[in-house]
Amino acid sequence: MRNRMSGFAVLFLVMALVLSACAPAAAPAAAPVAEGESTEAVAAEGGDGATSELRVAWWGSQNRHDRTIAAIELFEQLHPEIKVVYEFSGWDDHWTKMTTQAAGGNLPDVMQQDYARLEEWVSRGLLMPLDAYVADGTLNFDNVSESALAGGIIDGQLYGVNLGTNSMVIVIDADKLAEAGLEAPRPDWTFAEFEALATQLHENLGIYGFTGGLSNEQLWKNLYLSLGEWVYNEDGSALGYEDDQPLLDYLGMVKRMQDAGIIPTRETEVAEQGSSVEDNDIVSGDAAMTYVWSNQLVALSAAAGEGRNFLLVPMPRPEGGASTNYLKPSMFFSITSQAKNPDAAAMFIDFFTNDIEANKILMAERGVPISSAVRDALQPELDVAQQQIFNYIAEIESSVSPIPPPDAAGHANVINNVYWPLVMDPFFYGQQSLEDTVRILREQANAVLAESAGQ
Amino acid sequence: MSNALPAPAAPASATAKAPTRPRKRGGARRTDNLMGYLFIAPWLVAFLAFTLIPIVASFVLAFTNYDVLNPSWSWVGLQNFERMFTRDPRYIKSLQATFFYAFTAIPLRLAFALAVAMLLNTHRRGVSTYRAAYYAPSIVGGSVAVAVMWREIFGADGLINAILGTDITWLGNPNTAIWTLIVLAVWQFGSPMLIFLAGLKQIPREFYEAAAIDGAHGGQQFWHITLPLLTPIIFFNLVMQLISGFMVFTQAFIITGGAPLDTTLFYALYLYQRAFVSLQMGYASAMAWVLLAIVAVMTALVFRSSSYWVFYGSQEEN
Amino acid sequence: MDSATTAPADRAMSRSQSRPLWRRMPTRTLLYHLLVGGLGILMLYPILWLFASSFKGAAEIWTNVRSLIPQDFTLANYTNGWRGFGGITFATFYANSFFYAGVATLLTVLASAVVAYGFARINFVGRRIWFACMLATLMLPVQVQIIPQYIIFSELGWINTFYPLLLPRIGGQAFFIFMIMQFIRGIPKDLDEAAEMDGCGKGGIFFRIILPQIVPALITAAIFSFYWTWEDFLTPLIYLNDPKLYTVSLALRSFADPSGQTDWGAIFAMSSLSLVPVFVIFVAFQRFLVEGISTTGLKG
Repeated sequence: MRNRMSGFAVLFLVMALVLSACAPAAAPAAAPVAEGESTEAVAAEGGDGATSELRVAWWGSQNRHDRTIAAIELFEQLHPEIKVVYEFSGWDDHWTKMTTQAAGGNLPDVMQQDYARLEEWVSRGLLMPLDAYVADGTLNFDNVSESALAGGIIDGQLYGVNLGTNSMVIVIDADKLAEAGLEAPRPDWTFAEFEALATQLHENLGIYGFTGGLSNEQLWKNLYLSLGEWVYNEDGSALGYEDDQPLLDYLGMVKRMQDAGIIPTRETEVAEQGSSVEDNDIVSGDAAMTYVWSNQLVALSAAAGEGRNFLLVPMPRPEGGASTNYLKPSMFFSITSQAKNPDAAAMFIDFFTNDIEANKILMAERGVPISSAVRDALQPELDVAQQQIFNYIAEIESSVSPIPPPDAAGHANVINNVYWPLVMDPFFYGQQSLEDTVRILREQANAVLAESAGQ
Repeated sequence: MSNALPAPAAPASATAKAPTRPRKRGGARRTDNLMGYLFIAPWLVAFLAFTLIPIVASFVLAFTNYDVLNPSWSWVGLQNFERMFTRDPRYIKSLQATFFYAFTAIPLRLAFALAVAMLLNTHRRGVSTYRAAYYAPSIVGGSVAVAVMWREIFGADGLINAILGTDITWLGNPNTAIWTLIVLAVWQFGSPMLIFLAGLKQIPREFYEAAAIDGAHGGQQFWHITLPLLTPIIFFNLVMQLISGFMVFTQAFIITGGAPLDTTLFYALYLYQRAFVSLQMGYASAMAWVLLAIVAVMTALVFRSSSYWVFYGSQEEN
Repeated sequence: MDSATTAPADRAMSRSQSRPLWRRMPTRTLLYHLLVGGLGILMLYPILWLFASSFKGAAEIWTNVRSLIPQDFTLANYTNGWRGFGGITFATFYANSFFYAGVATLLTVLASAVVAYGFARINFVGRRIWFACMLATLMLPVQVQIIPQYIIFSELGWINTFYPLLLPRIGGQAFFIFMIMQFIRGIPKDLDEAAEMDGCGKGGIFFRIILPQIVPALITAAIFSFYWTWEDFLTPLIYLNDPKLYTVSLALRSFADPSGQTDWGAIFAMSSLSLVPVFVIFVAFQRFLVEGISTTGLKG
């Protein structure tokens, strides 16, 4: 790992050394109110018999923090020789913090990773391949299907262990559907049927037929996945599809629905963006359908309150296409290449994956567990929403499309600097024709991708 | 003639009341390097130890393609700067949004702060309650709760539409979104207001008493005593609001994220996105230095102008 | 202009002590209260909304959004929020925030006053250049300084301690230095010179003459510094890893996860609660601001 400390880091090392020489020699023994020892001090202390330290970092909300910390305490009971030091934050903060730590060569042993970022981190050599730990049995995947692990594999090596399986899902308010006198759609419904159902719901009930970001990049990706293609080419240097017609048709439909008031306009979406799952129009009864990631159904149901009935249906697909759904790892645990204690890290990840008691604490909060033994053990303890999620994942498992390759290294750049500002927003705000929109996406995305891949 | 007041503006009797000890010209100009450096030593040490290196580093990185995660980088010369002005439409939009914000929010905020400070600079009953009420919005800061709150107030069926009887998606409409952030900035006007208040409190009571005896009241006192004596504080608030106005980040970060159509994509927000989302720290560093240049020029202009309108009790040149 | 109207108004009041309060009020005062009070309520509305939301039940927060009156009043959000994360309660976060904001404010205000005096009143070689440097530090966005600064503190072994948060404050902060400078420059120099003739050194002048006169500025600086430090989450986020060291502002941000379940009630409750210390500090200190120095000190 030392050879990574090249260039930039060395420059700072020298500067910092010069600096520390003239820094106040005996820094005051500041007494931060809680235990203010540095991490090294904690490890050296070893008052509770721990001989090694394991650092874990994740993002989440209160519920996840509580459960994860409880599971960590269980792990420490089982492995008294390991002291687990943890740090948690919200989503944005997690990445700011991890990025900074990476630059300082100070990453934790285990970090929670995201599918959209995995390639970015692997390509910079910041994550450690886990195959050796799988081979020696530290990571035991006997009860795990290959498809559940596939998302963490890049260039043939495993870089992240899936912490829960997710898939996108259309949530229909069953009572509204009945009120409108309409039938639930088939699992393999098309966009045309989707548009028709949303239109009828809107016309019969006077509320939004559907709510949720249909211009989201996720749906662009799903569209081409369903057609057996992928939005990026193999080396991430350009778009991976030739035919713009499906996108043209799809965006045309979304615009049509917006203009007819069947779904919220982009303007309304923007005004409400950043709102949480809890703020969805379906919660307040102002919309009859929405889409979420399957694990978000728990939050949606909780916010909606008692006595609501939600129906789960797979995402619609283009005419003649395969499923637009795939099973996505909700998040991963990865071992960083700066880890000081990778062996304990692997044990910890295995514990998270396979330990029944731990998973009874975690209660599938990160998505449907990948181990079938864990799933079976949790079944009797699930609440209604979780039961629905487990059933949904089980039902679609056999018919979903294979997981697409991880996003190109230039993905974040494409989405933030091309997809939204130059493509989708100008189109949905009526500043740009559909044809121009699709053309600009191709031109600009290719330019950005070529540059990112060339670096 | 007194040195404490701008002579042409002050009523004669007020000037007469002000201290009139003659000034020793030589004393004021004397330099005292040892004491000077001794007094600024705390700042100088902290600056050299903790701030200088990051500043130099960011300058160096402006000419590289450093991406934070990858420790190896290469020199790209002026390419970052060239891209900014020729191949980055979002950059231009971020400049537009920032200048628009700076030139509307700053004057509004300062005017409002000064007006309220004047209103609250009195011994009327209940004024401390008012002072607390007006300052309160400024302490809610930039938490997630504020984002939800602001979106709610400007929402389709929120307070603002209810009051105005309109049906505008304030945060979604490219013509109105930036105004919600300007209103937020004006609403949180507590810090300049408090500084104005402290400045008003520092104006010696004798000046007003003298002016009152002289028959000057209300508006005259304001123009001839309050305003001139407050100019150092107005100057300070102007400079600081100018700088922080160009650095505006948090509100857009938590509420709009730059949307709609990049009309609220403030410079610092775009810079943050480039640095930590697209991982282009080299480019972000280049952007930071251009911003520094812009703000430095604007600040220098204000400083230049200050000799025409800022009056110091100590009458030194700045 | 109100300082001017105060005196007659006071006189009017004392003249008519026997009449009921509302009759004693001159029309001007009444208008004043209508205008200032009315505007004040408008200013407070969003805060009232926040507090009201913090007492709404989980199912009500997003279904009864607009109302300022909770249908079903609950304190559960406060107990849930205060619980914190995995056994680390907000008591810990508050203790950390008080430590951070308290020490940082003390350092900042003291250092800023000393440095401001140096810049405002002493002529020395390089004064303008250093002052320009100081202002320039405010003009470079912090986002590009985070990483190099982190590397420095990391090499010094100070990650997960309060040193990176507090040590930079030994130099004061540019904003306050400049602010206090402006107040010092508003003070006539004659007093300094008189003291100097009496054999007082620069240090003596600073402590005996300048310091007493800039009390309103120092109080203002203390109020802001405390609040800005209290609110700061970026520095604690970057440098503090152990949740037992988290500050309130950082803990507040650990509640929300846009992709998962968020207890908004707890966020509103803890956000409301986090305003209390800052508000109390303001109310406690503003009394000194009001009294100020007004007439003292200048009769040199």
